Amino acid sequence: MNGMYGDGPGAFDAFGQDPFDDEEFDDQQGEQGDEGTEFDDALLEEELRQAAAILDPVPAELRQVAMDAYALYDMDARLAELTFDSLVDAIPVRGALDVPRMLTFTAGELSVDVEVTSEGLMGQVMPPQPAGIEVLNGLQALRPTTLTADSMGRFTSDVPPTGPFALRLRTGGEVVVTEWLRA
Amino acid sequence: MRAGTIPSTAYDDMPYTRGGTVDRAEVGALVRSAVDGDAAAWKALVEGLSPLVWSVVRAHRLSDADAGEVYQTVWFRFAQHLGRIREPDKAGSWLASTARNECLKVIKGLRRLMPTDDPQLLDRVSEERTPEQSVLDSEEAASEAERIRRLWQEFAGLGERCRQLLRVLMASPPPSYQEVSAGLGIAVGSIGPMRQRCLRRLRARLNAGEAL
Repeated sequence: MNGMYGDGPGAFDAFGQDPFDDEEFDDQQGEQGDEGTEFDDALLEEELRQAAAILDPVPAELRQVAMDAYALYDMDARLAELTFDSLVDAIPVRGALDVPRMLTFTAGELSVDVEVTSEGLMGQVMPPQPAGIEVLNGLQALRPTTLTADSMGRFTSDVPPTGPFALRLRTGGEVVVTEWLRA
Repeated sequence: MRAGTIPSTAYDDMPYTRGGTVDRAEVGALVRSAVDGDAAAWKALVEGLSPLVWSVVRAHRLSDADAGEVYQTVWFRFAQHLGRIREPDKAGSWLASTARNECLKVIKGLRRLMPTDDPQLLDRVSEERTPEQSVLDSEEAASEAERIRRLWQEFAGLGERCRQLLRVLMASPPPSYQEVSAGLGIAVGSIGPMRQRCLRRLRARLNAGEAL
């Protein structure tokens, strides 16, 4: 949204358009004689809010991770935005299991192609150039996996990323970080 | 903080006054403070907007593991984008929209891996009891607990669309309709009427249960 990156609302929709325009709203049964006022509605919504706070709150450990995520705020690094994701932009191959996830991140003239499989990760920095690459895997990555891109910009890892991950590249004296993504 | 300097356009669409409106109107100021290095402002953003992100994720019925990963990814991205967000006042919508997109990716990934679309796999509920749930077991709280459980049960029994909408609306503090729209991909104008129908449908279910 807001043109900040490519996969805003409307870029795709797993459920198709008009997700709420279905038969669920065609029948009027159960609503006759139950026309509460807006005040009643607000009250019921408030009760639901209380119920959610008790029965389905944000797990404390996740809330803490979000608190700690401020450490990822880094205006010195260039952000490489996700510009292609095979999960969204490619036609699924029917019947093919374990299809590699193809990703492209772009920061100005620099781009990084990444292929994620259950075996690991491989990729290439474009235009081709050597780079030091750290695979960040969540916040606890005090010692992230370190890879080296060869003179052709190619790099591989036999450790598949799990959960949220990002790549931090050091090349030509600058630091580029890819957008966080769930593998 | 910095009251009086913040435009509250996000609430222009609200048909009535909700609690928490004041908190939410400060979002733009908090984002700007966090950009300037104020860690307390970031903390306040997490406190104020975590339930919205969680609600959007829960509305999409992901497994607990997937839900947790999406939630984290959303906040990691938000931290990355902090200084680049063009409309800080709409950070809530940004988070809701990002959460929705990541949820849809998870669903797409699951569909691609599963030979059949087994809704059971998307509908797992945690078996663990939270401390809050355990508090409900105490005797003096028993009748209140029963009331809340019944409400939750009837809510869970609603149709998918109503369940989704209400799950996002019940975030705390209450989300703006722009945030709900961003989190569910539905038009702002349709939220009010749908909310009314869904809440009345829920009330009808509760009343029907009591009559038995």
